Amino acid sequence: MPHEQLLLRRLRGRPSAGLVFSYVFIIIVAAFCLFPFLWMVIGATNVSKDVSMGKLSLGMALFDNFANLNKLVNLPLVFRNTAFVTLVGTFFTLLVASMAGYGFEMYRNRHRERLYAFLLLTMMIPFAAVMIPLFRIFAKVQLLNSFIAVILPSVASVIVIFYFRQSTKSFSRELVEAARIDGLSELQAFFYIYVPSMKSTYAAAAIIVFMSYWNSFLWPLIVLQTNDKKLLTLAISSLSSSYTPDFGVIMLFIILATSPTLVIFFAMQRQFVAGMLGAGK
Amino acid sequence: MKTIRQSGLVRHHSTAGFHRSTGWMFVSFALILVGVFSIYPVISSFLLSFQTGRGAVYHFNGLGNIQRLLKDTVFLQALKNTFVYFIFQVPIMIILALTIASVLNNPKLKFRGFFRIAIFLPCVTSLVAYSVLFKSMFALDGLVNRMLLAINVVAEPIPWLLDPFWAKVLIIIALTWRWTGYNMMFYLSAMQNISPSYYEAARIDGANAFQQFRYITVPLLKPVILFTSVMSTIGTLQLFDESMNITGGGPANATITISHYIYNVLFRFTPNFGYAATISYVIVFLVAILAFVQFKLTGDDHAA
Amino acid sequence: MKKFLFVVLALMLTLSVFAAGDKEAAAAGPQKITIWAWDPNFNIAIMEEAKARYQAINPDVQFEIVDMAKADVEQKLLINLSSGVTDGLPDIVLIEDYNAEKYLSSYPDSFADLTGSFDYSQFAPYKVKLMTVGGKTYGVPFDTGVAGTYYRKDILEAAGFRASDMENITWDRFIEIGEAVFAKTGVSMCAFDPTDGGLVRVMLHSAGSWYFDKNGKPFLAGNPVMEAAVATYAKLINSPGTMKTSGWAEWVGAINSGKAATISTGVWITGSVKAEATQSGKWALAPIPRLNVPGAVNASNLGGSSWYVLNSSKAKATAIDFLKQIYAKDNDFYQKILVDRGAVGSFLPSQGGSAYMVADPFFGGQKVFQNFSAYMQKIPSVEFGSYTYEADSAIASVLPSIYAGGSVADALKAAQAQLENAIK
Repeated sequence: MPHEQLLLRRLRGRPSAGLVFSYVFIIIVAAFCLFPFLWMVIGATNVSKDVSMGKLSLGMALFDNFANLNKLVNLPLVFRNTAFVTLVGTFFTLLVASMAGYGFEMYRNRHRERLYAFLLLTMMIPFAAVMIPLFRIFAKVQLLNSFIAVILPSVASVIVIFYFRQSTKSFSRELVEAARIDGLSELQAFFYIYVPSMKSTYAAAAIIVFMSYWNSFLWPLIVLQTNDKKLLTLAISSLSSSYTPDFGVIMLFIILATSPTLVIFFAMQRQFVAGMLGAGK
Repeated sequence: MKTIRQSGLVRHHSTAGFHRSTGWMFVSFALILVGVFSIYPVISSFLLSFQTGRGAVYHFNGLGNIQRLLKDTVFLQALKNTFVYFIFQVPIMIILALTIASVLNNPKLKFRGFFRIAIFLPCVTSLVAYSVLFKSMFALDGLVNRMLLAINVVAEPIPWLLDPFWAKVLIIIALTWRWTGYNMMFYLSAMQNISPSYYEAARIDGANAFQQFRYITVPLLKPVILFTSVMSTIGTLQLFDESMNITGGGPANATITISHYIYNVLFRFTPNFGYAATISYVIVFLVAILAFVQFKLTGDDHAA
Repeated sequence: MKKFLFVVLALMLTLSVFAAGDKEAAAAGPQKITIWAWDPNFNIAIMEEAKARYQAINPDVQFEIVDMAKADVEQKLLINLSSGVTDGLPDIVLIEDYNAEKYLSSYPDSFADLTGSFDYSQFAPYKVKLMTVGGKTYGVPFDTGVAGTYYRKDILEAAGFRASDMENITWDRFIEIGEAVFAKTGVSMCAFDPTDGGLVRVMLHSAGSWYFDKNGKPFLAGNPVMEAAVATYAKLINSPGTMKTSGWAEWVGAINSGKAATISTGVWITGSVKAEATQSGKWALAPIPRLNVPGAVNASNLGGSSWYVLNSSKAKATAIDFLKQIYAKDNDFYQKILVDRGAVGSFLPSQGGSAYMVADPFFGGQKVFQNFSAYMQKIPSVEFGSYTYEADSAIASVLPSIYAGGSVADALKAAQAQLENAIK
């Protein structure tokens, strides 16, 4: 049949015009996406003056920039603080949100469905609207300038709850039924059956939540008061707002600050893609 | 469910009640947190939106804030800007992400892993980083203009940050750069879920690539597209960071967003919390309406 | 179920340990002064110097100097003040002068009344005026943003202009010179950001005028000084001698890279001007041009900030004593910060000091800080009011229509309407 012959010819022969176009297109897109990072790396090796004048070649100032950065910012402290907030925050968010998503999906009833719809609405509220009352709450219980205050409001993230609920739709209930028959309590079923079988969902959520805590700025800015609690984003911001900002140092700092999220993403991207699959229904 | 009762191995109350209370157990922690940290502040600020004043000194103003809002030229400009972003950026980004995803879905393409990472990378950058970057790249004698001049696309440098039209274009470019990869991942994952046999059948019937895309891929991806579209709508309507850090809302309020204006009313001008709360509620209503419309348009059941 | 609750409780307790840790440290002990400020190279560094000097006199006092971006300091201060909770507030905070009245009138009672504690006649009068509300003075004046015009002698000479041509001129003359310089040398006379109305403020201030009239009402439309300022700025922007830039980096980059021959702004730009070592010896200082209206002088101000003490401070007496000993007494301190950071204080007795008399080789031996001190004393006193930023925003939003040749009067009417709406 003529179609099959065409197919065979394509499979054996030269790439089709479509494929060439695909390559060109995707290479251009990737170049656009990558270019700013390249520019950042170049910037980190140059003196501030050269960076602000747009120099495109590598310079010799990498070590100087690092030395200056070290003088201006307490790097170990800031990284430690950010890591603590991020790791603790990610752990609790995954725990609470996945349980909620699981709970909403597996034990449906009319009241909770309404509640769920209401929760989704809260996603639409801009942060500016709740910022001040939120601040007052923490001030009243004397938890200002603490990492708890930074983490707590973000733990029950409705987006993550939504994501887990969607993913749970593709989770087979038979497994839980079997667990019940075997004598496991509901909680045990959750931890011993559900969690292990949803690994890629957790991985995908972990990446997103991690990034969100690592890059958070406005709320920590408002709540944290002292130098010993400083986070990466706050430190970058104060470096950038100087009468004489040192752009080489800032670029270097940004690269250092972004590396952990990059590393995590690289390491987990297979699970990430797999996890996204689960929610795409 | 009878099996459980009969098994006798587990002691449970009636299944319906058990079902109910277990359900509550799982969601309670999240609900409490949301209640304290979202609902309560929202109600509190809703009440605040009927008051006006300076700083710590305020008084009840009834609907006065809303009257002021309707005559507020900056607010109206911010509203216009936000809608421009919504109307142009969201569709462009979705179409771009769909195209990239379908290109990357082609098993004949090599280095797909590399391309995937490269395109997702912008989503991982911190906000401060990417605004510093874009601001310097799009300066009058910045990188982008120099390249455009070098390849003779334009005769004069484009005043990205100084011209009302180009500044909006810049914001749209920045947003697209930042978020396309994110949406692409969703689409790609969903596409990989589509059985190749559909495409085979279509090809045998004589459909070309574009038709396959239009009649197979897009309909099957409808739920994901809806999801990303609603997420993007919410994100664009609440847009703040780009307006704040790249263009500063300028030139002359040409790019300011509603959230940025709220920020100004709270922190840059003499603080008026009541008025800021009023403006925030405008965003809430707009988002709610637009999300609702999108759900209805695709004829989909709400989230479940 | 019980196990679950127990686990959760245990986790919460563990976490609360981290929160509790700080509270203990804040218990009774030696006095501790917390200070909020921005710019690690300028304000923060200067405070560190002040702290070292004070600790030499009073070793028992501890300091915590917290460094954040300027906008962040303002945000945090506002949120703390507005929540009505004083625990999170510092003892001393740096506030930009344009903002002072906004804070003082929005949060009466939050700031310490320092009227009796300092001899304000020793500070530049315009600084004292802006921190005085209802007859009470609240802050300690810090750096001045006294304005001047730094210019490249060599470029101007190449175009046929001498130093005397830059002295005591009007903006109109400045624009003329600019066009000649650009035509002859290809170098722009100056660089400005069309979206930034900072220079408009400078022009207004040099004429003793402001966005508001004596009663605090918006005075944009029908204000001849305002009209002159805005029209002059538009003329400057549209002049071929002016390079258009956007953002700080580009603006400073213009003079560092030699693309612009002058820079007219506050004295705090000195550090950035000197950043390009290869240009040493080529720069000089002239007074800032004046607006072509009666009563205008060749002196103005852009920026500048002051230190304020919070009323809720637990170490208030110590904080006030600290500010007094260093900022209101230590002349040597002021010399040091001038030399090290280029900071010009507003403490008049210090301005006769040795550092102010230094002939800087970068400026061809000119004693620039003496010039600046002289300019500073001529700065007209103006009350900024609480709504400077709203006014700024209103003006910035109508500037494009004026650049495009639209009517100044109409634009100002629109700006006035916007401003009135903003301050309801």
